[in-house]
Amino acid sequence: MRTRDGLVRGAVTIALAALAVLASLLAAPSPRDSLAWAITGAVAVVSASIMTSPRVRRAHPATRRASMTVLCVDATVVATYFFSAPTNFDLAIGAAMSIVLLGLSFLTGASGQISLGNGAFMGVGAFTMAIWANHHATTPIVVTLLIALFSGALVGVLLGLPATRLRGPYLAGMTLAFAVAFGAIVSSFNSWTGGDAGLQLPRAATPPGWLAHFFSPSTPLLVANTMWLADLSIVVTGVAFFFMANLFASRTGRAMRLVRDNEVAAELVGISLARTRVIAFIVSSAYAALGGALWTLVNNSVSPSTYSFALSITILSLIVIGGIGTIPGALIGGIIYAYSASVISWITAQTGLNAQGNLASQLNGIIFGGLLILTMIFAPMGIAGAARHLWSRRRR
Amino acid sequence: MDPFLTSRVVSDLLGGFTNGVIYGLFALSLVLVWRSTGVLNFAQGAMPMFATYLGMVVFSGHLSYWPCVAISVVAGFAIGGVTERVLVRPLYGKPEINPIVVMVGFLIVLEAVAAAIWSTVPRGVQSPFSSVFFQAGGKPIALSRFSVYEIVAALIVMAGVAALFRFTKIGLQLRAAALAPEVSRLLGVRVGRMLTLGWILSTGVGTVTTILVASNFFTGLTPQVMDGIFAFGFIAAAVGGLNSPVGAIVSGVVIGIVLQFVGDFLNGNDIILVALLILVVSLMVRPNGVFTKSTSRRV
Repeated sequence: MRTRDGLVRGAVTIALAALAVLASLLAAPSPRDSLAWAITGAVAVVSASIMTSPRVRRAHPATRRASMTVLCVDATVVATYFFSAPTNFDLAIGAAMSIVLLGLSFLTGASGQISLGNGAFMGVGAFTMAIWANHHATTPIVVTLLIALFSGALVGVLLGLPATRLRGPYLAGMTLAFAVAFGAIVSSFNSWTGGDAGLQLPRAATPPGWLAHFFSPSTPLLVANTMWLADLSIVVTGVAFFFMANLFASRTGRAMRLVRDNEVAAELVGISLARTRVIAFIVSSAYAALGGALWTLVNNSVSPSTYSFALSITILSLIVIGGIGTIPGALIGGIIYAYSASVISWITAQTGLNAQGNLASQLNGIIFGGLLILTMIFAPMGIAGAARHLWSRRRR
Repeated sequence: MDPFLTSRVVSDLLGGFTNGVIYGLFALSLVLVWRSTGVLNFAQGAMPMFATYLGMVVFSGHLSYWPCVAISVVAGFAIGGVTERVLVRPLYGKPEINPIVVMVGFLIVLEAVAAAIWSTVPRGVQSPFSSVFFQAGGKPIALSRFSVYEIVAALIVMAGVAALFRFTKIGLQLRAAALAPEVSRLLGVRVGRMLTLGWILSTGVGTVTTILVASNFFTGLTPQVMDGIFAFGFIAAAVGGLNSPVGAIVSGVVIGIVLQFVGDFLNGNDIILVALLILVVSLMVRPNGVFTKSTSRRV
């Protein structure tokens, strides 16, 4: 019971702190505004001091995680104020992706299984978001996001129940079939989903009225909207990471790691293998759906071609490269995703390849696939695992 | 007699059987790898796809159909053997997701490299058989020279694999190495070689499947040509039981026929939906596959 209180309190703290930062920044006519800086600075200092205080470290791990998240969200929200609109757009897309990656990381880290269909689960969330917004335009964004989250969990139950009861690669194969089938599924429900064309949101996501009038009138609408979306994604990502960090450390999370490492021991201490695996899969699908819903919000539309099998494979590559089974790995993967397109087009430009040619258009697949193989063979825990390894060696 | 042969139900049966034989053959190649090395090879479609490009596209200007088929199959053997030695061997004894992830990476690389070299535009592969339907009393039967060729070729390969496992010494060694590697090593079976041979065989079977799929006038050869077949083949193999070659073939044929009826009487988009449903239900009812005796397992 106490941990649950801690979770709620932590989530509320993050949301409030982020909103305070947001409001202070938006209210400021320029970044030099002293009040804005004072509020952001105070939030940062308070959360940093809570985080590092030895008593909190020892006795209140959930509070420590909350203050850590507040610090990160605070810093990133401040950064969005200085970024251009395209950078903020990439940031929003990458933040949503890191939620999806976190879900997959949890599935593998907690149950030793893998999903090849998280792109399709993103699609479930993305379409739920769009369909709901088209039918009930007045629902607050947060509620719609939660509905999308539950829709992903529901589909996760349907697919996870049979597959997770088995050993071996059944879950991977079944989620692959789901990912391949997703386009056809969307088409066969085309009265709801709009078929191949997809759906538009009825109106663009704009900052709510009480926030909007804080903006100085000279701010272009596009800049203000993109910044609002980026900040929203960052706050949602912060909350998602906070919950996941607690889940990893909780009793359920420890039970899951035991299932991954030693099934017999887990059964002997009374953990239900099937139940644990199904829960891990449901959490992973729900996180994927949340990420997809954010994508719909940021793009203002949803198209089935986005959520192809290729996206599922990209998701797998990103989390493996970042560090599967770790929390920082999901952040690293999200950052890679947000800026990989620019890096690859830079490589194309530097090497003088024909940008419309066959090779240039396939460079993405060749690089990601190659990195996937190399990472799995030489550093199975990815960048995060390698960094942790180096760090612990230096401290010894 | 004639109206019977050209009726809707018989057409669906024949068309479904043709598709189903392909699914079954591909499922067989998945089962061969699974049985010998315990890996579900997600590049099982991409490796043969690459071999087929090597044989059927590179040499198509110089050689006729059959030499190209031979070159493709040999390329498939080579790709299978090298992959097992280089990519898969370091992963035995590691957590089960490691080989899955590596083979997914290999799938991405192969599809991207194939698209970089040969582009994603479908390549027609000319087979010497016409895909015009036979006629009965002025109406078409859902069977052409080409689909007869598909069925016969698939059955020959299946029979060949069965004969190899049942009647030859190598087949016995292959089964022994898969079933009890430690014991067979003590009895003088070169287990490592048998694992490689399992991959070689399975990629060969996969290459024949890919050639049959690509030779179809209506599909042609693309880098992604096997993605869909992989999904159906996996469903067939999982329903039949990943350990059972006979189960894979039979459930491949049954699924092919059922899906043909679904596509005809319901809607083309519902095919994969029903296939997923079949998979979910069969895993609920018979988790280890319809054709395997259930075994309890404790480690």
